[in-house]
Amino acid sequence: MVKVTLSGISKYFGEFKAVDDVDLEVGEGELFFLLGPSGCGKTTTLRVIAGFYKPDKGSVYFDDRPMNDIPPYRRNVGMVFQNYALWPHMTSYDNIVYGLKVRDVSPSERVKRARAVLDVVQMREFATRYPNQLSGGQQQRIALARAIVTEPDVLLLDEPLSNLDAKLRIETRHEIKRIQRELGTTSIYVTHDQEEALSMADNIAIMNEGRIEQIGAPRDIYSKPSNSFVAGFIGETNFIEGKVSSIGEEEGLLTIRASSGDEILAGVPHGRFTVGQEVLCSVRPENIRLMDISPNLPGGQVHEGEILHMTYYGVIEHYVVRGFGGKEVKVTNFNPDVKRRDDGERVLMAFDPEDVDVFPF
Amino acid sequence: MLVFSGLSLKKSFRNMDRNAFIIFLGLMVFFGAFLILPILYVFRGAFFEGGRFTLTYFMLMFTDPFYKESIYNSVVIGVFATLVTSLISIPLAYLMVRYEFPGKRLMQGILLVPLVMPPFVGAIGMKQLFARYGSVNLLLMQLNLIQRPVDWFGGGFWGVILMEALHLYPFLYLNLSASLANIDPTLEEQAENMGASGFHLFRTVTAPLMLPGYLAGSLIVFIWAFTDLGTPLIFEYRKVVPPIIFSMVKDIWVNPMGYALTVLTLVIAVVFVVFSRRYLGRKNYEMMGRGHIVPRIRRVTGWKLPFVYLLLFIMVLGALIPQLSVIITSFANEWFLTVLPTTWTVDYYRTVFTHSVTVTSIINSLKFSLASTSIDIVLGVLIGYLLARKKFPGKDLLDSISMLPLAIPGIVIAFGYVATFSGTSLDPFVDPTILLILSYSVRRLPYTVRAAFSGFQQTSVSLEEASSSVGASPVRTMVSITGPLIMANVLAGGIISFSAAMMEVSDSMILALREEYYPITKAIYGLNLRLGDGPYVASALGIVGTVLVACCLLAANKLLGKSMGELFRA
Repeated sequence: MVKVTLSGISKYFGEFKAVDDVDLEVGEGELFFLLGPSGCGKTTTLRVIAGFYKPDKGSVYFDDRPMNDIPPYRRNVGMVFQNYALWPHMTSYDNIVYGLKVRDVSPSERVKRARAVLDVVQMREFATRYPNQLSGGQQQRIALARAIVTEPDVLLLDEPLSNLDAKLRIETRHEIKRIQRELGTTSIYVTHDQEEALSMADNIAIMNEGRIEQIGAPRDIYSKPSNSFVAGFIGETNFIEGKVSSIGEEEGLLTIRASSGDEILAGVPHGRFTVGQEVLCSVRPENIRLMDISPNLPGGQVHEGEILHMTYYGVIEHYVVRGFGGKEVKVTNFNPDVKRRDDGERVLMAFDPEDVDVFPF
Repeated sequence: MLVFSGLSLKKSFRNMDRNAFIIFLGLMVFFGAFLILPILYVFRGAFFEGGRFTLTYFMLMFTDPFYKESIYNSVVIGVFATLVTSLISIPLAYLMVRYEFPGKRLMQGILLVPLVMPPFVGAIGMKQLFARYGSVNLLLMQLNLIQRPVDWFGGGFWGVILMEALHLYPFLYLNLSASLANIDPTLEEQAENMGASGFHLFRTVTAPLMLPGYLAGSLIVFIWAFTDLGTPLIFEYRKVVPPIIFSMVKDIWVNPMGYALTVLTLVIAVVFVVFSRRYLGRKNYEMMGRGHIVPRIRRVTGWKLPFVYLLLFIMVLGALIPQLSVIITSFANEWFLTVLPTTWTVDYYRTVFTHSVTVTSIINSLKFSLASTSIDIVLGVLIGYLLARKKFPGKDLLDSISMLPLAIPGIVIAFGYVATFSGTSLDPFVDPTILLILSYSVRRLPYTVRAAFSGFQQTSVSLEEASSSVGASPVRTMVSITGPLIMANVLAGGIISFSAAMMEVSDSMILALREEYYPITKAIYGLNLRLGDGPYVASALGIVGTVLVACCLLAANKLLGKSMGELFRA
């Protein structure tokens, strides 16, 4: 098991900064995710680790070994490609043992190890098939088997599930996670699918425009986004613009006057703010409760709105409410045992200050 | 501006692959010596005399009545050959792409037969058939349709045009059918929806969309007919440019006229290529919408079917007459003032395989072609790899220069070789082996480059990266992954290059100056001049060569499947 360290990595394509001064550390045996929208530099970062790109600045270390000048074929990494990259002129078995042959592993040992990984990915009966005789999911498993049979120091996965259909994708998530746990190989996984990252990762790095926006465990990233990009990218959220009107005694509680005039109490400031500063408040849809309009307002903050439309998803109901001066606010109710509401109905939206993140605008 | 370009140049040097750049430089030396230098020598010979610039010989071409007429004839032959092939190919392509009828697959094969026999071999047979007292005239006289023999070839002029057209129409046909098959049927359906139909629809929608394919194909036809040396020689029609250039190889040191005519040929060919590229560039409509196109295919039924077959029968007969006439000639024992030979023999074939000239020529051709094909495969893979996978300054230059031989007539390169290398250790008057091999390989290199390039493009880079990531060195990756995956393409390109070299005419005619170095084509020409059984043995040798080439092309077809036609497209 090795620790992977990137320090100050930059990679340019002409004028375009694909990766811009990235630092990160992946611990031994960790399943680490690079998550971001397309074009954010996550695949480029992965290819720098694999050795397919030389960084223009910075260094890659496996443990304490600098890797910059080591060609990809001497790095002992396994890689699963987005399109699987199975060699079409070789059977599944030949695809898997190729790396062992390259390493001069003895024939008997080759058979043993190929069998073992075929069992791990549950593909034993498909060993003699050619890639074009396999379904997408099966090809994916063979690609994984090929990457792990050489017992690599680091396993790299480049959007390995993006070519699978929705149901298979969810099944395979657990499968990959199980295999990674069994092997204990340090793994770096690139995806743009946040559910995939949240459900599988030990740690996630959120990337945007070549930079890392936040690194943390899934729970932390979701509940404590460190900036408005992360808040907007992970999960759904409502952004409300406004100005700081007062700062509470404990400095934790801000009062913000939204551009619509509403007063919002916000409990989670990111950074230090001054009165009058323009800010962005973020409230997640599931943290907003809908209530009837009544003369006796309950405690806490409430804001009036009008239901534009509701979408029913079974386990949840999704509302779009017009409020805060004509804004469309997303509201999600789970396990709706609460009252069904109709389009056009006027309601109150309530949320707690500790569910309101505030970012500098 | 200067500072900026300097900067971007620096940047492209920083991003490049050092080894790729070194190989690129090596390739440039090769192209420089065996493609560019000979052309420069031709220009020097045409415009400089005794170290002084002169336009005397260039002017002479346009003032001397003999040269004037010959140039005029050459252009007219090119134009007419293009017109005749158009008349054959347009209806043929439309019929073959848009209609379905029993026997269509067989037809697709037969229509490509003319590709395998060079036109000047066909000309030998045609001469027997259409001579003053040849089979056709005799037959017509027997049927009392004519009283006196007809001069079918118009002194050779029309004979050349006919032969070129019958040989070259597959090039146009293949280009046309490709662009026709690519037309999104919804475009025509939309036009029909708006009320267009029949010929109006063809003229306003279909034809303009076929135009790029038409131009690409007719360009090949024009340049080939314009620069073909063998056919006018066989018809003994000397008032065209290529045979004049050929006859001037001997006095290359005393008469600069050959240089001037060669420059003219090159300039006309290049002008045509450049103009059609320009025009194509503007007219090459991208087909929008869905990637996969299901062409509109109608089934021919009922009363139309006999007409289709009649049309096809005429086409096939026309296409195969030269081949048939050569076959008949090669087996004819006694054939004097009769429609068909009165007795038949296989003696000429026996001669082909025993006579020293013919046997040597077959061995020579095999030797030269194998060597030139090996060079083509090595260079083709190397260049294809650099173009498809590497970044280095000068990549565009390498791309253009390796495709350049497509635009340069063989006669120009051959003449340039004589001019450049006479008196050196490669002197063709002493031993043309090396120059023959090099001229064959330079001229057919575009085929293998293209084949290898498309092989590399079809092979995803991630397949190579996957190999690298499991620990294989670049060499190992090349041998076990990339090599096998591009093999079919490279082999097919090599086979095309080989068969083209086997039947190569202008280089062989000009460079092989002594009998012991004659390749098959020059031996055919030499034999044909001999009295007695000359033309018959020449025909037999032609058939042997053709069968060899046909086998090669079938093998290439097997390897490449449907996409083989692409190699013949511009």
